[in-house]
Amino acid sequence: MSEPLRNLSDLDRVIHEPARLLLVALLSSVESADFLFLLKESRLTKGNLSVHLSRLEEAGYLRVEKTFRGKIPHTEFRLTPKGKTAFDQYRKDLGLIVNPKKGRG
Amino acid sequence: MDSQIESVMKRGRGYWFVDGFTEILAGILFILLGGITLLSGIVPPSSFLSQFVSLAESAAIVKFLGLILAVLGLWWLKDRFTYPRTGFVREKGVPRAQLLIFLRNAVLIAILPVLGLIIPLFVVPAVRGAIFSMPVWFPPVLGIFWGALCILLGEWTALRRFRLLGVVIMLAGISIGIWQLTLGLPNVPADALRANILSPLPDVLWAPVKESLNRVLAGVGLLTLLSGIAFAVSGLATFLRYRKENPVPYREES
Repeated sequence: MSEPLRNLSDLDRVIHEPARLLLVALLSSVESADFLFLLKESRLTKGNLSVHLSRLEEAGYLRVEKTFRGKIPHTEFRLTPKGKTAFDQYRKDLGLIVNPKKGRG
Repeated sequence: MDSQIESVMKRGRGYWFVDGFTEILAGILFILLGGITLLSGIVPPSSFLSQFVSLAESAAIVKFLGLILAVLGLWWLKDRFTYPRTGFVREKGVPRAQLLIFLRNAVLIAILPVLGLIIPLFVVPAVRGAIFSMPVWFPPVLGIFWGALCILLGEWTALRRFRLLGVVIMLAGISIGIWQLTLGLPNVPADALRANILSPLPDVLWAPVKESLNRVLAGVGLLTLLSGIAFAVSGLATFLRYRKENPVPYREES
């Protein structure tokens, strides 16, 4: 297998799915965010968003925190250190595929 | 593709400014500060308004409390208006080490130009002339500095309006400098400028020094006022657009 192809197959498939990539990218720039923010920014349906968030949680990339804001139940999502590392690695791997010379230098 | 990922990340960073409240409040604070600075140079000393202006100038505690109230008000507004509409985001905290580096750099940026001006004053007497041309160069330098900060914020958050605000503030600073240039510089006898720098300031220089500083203050006041107006207008436009796009708080379908 050629190097670019090997790089392509090395991509993290949990993050590589477009909707999950969007969610991870959004969460990587903030400390945490609630469901409504992710729903509005991603424009996914509620069911779809829940599925992708569960998938990220199963992979250990996401932590769910259930709290209260006043009397209203509030759920926040944040990337775990594992999730942050995976996202950084994904961007690096993607960079190698798009621009292979970078990796050789 | 990485640039697309980067632009998504910037949306998260810029969420704090999504409703325009921060710009409106910053604009109001700037308008008050700039207005008071300008009025202090215009209002006759014996008038009723001058009592108010001098009180507003001297009461640091009022400014401090005003700032605290503005920040608390901002949180309250976001809690009641923004978060129920488009969601809650906890911004990333700045690590202490990074904060210290930022503070150190900010202090250096603030002090170095002043030192750069004061030290040559003692070494090269001719540099004294720079003090008297301050009304011309200081507002543009300050405007360019503030404008550059705005543009950097625009880059960091991918919000185009901050880049536009930065350009407006830069142009405002440059315009004030040009306006001051058309008024002419204070008359300074060349001999007095070259006099021994360590000796007390000759009487003949006191009036131009005072005129120069008053005009610098007026220029900075005007720049602050114009920047405040630009921020407030931008914030209001952002708020109106945000309210139109998100008219009611989001409700879960049962």
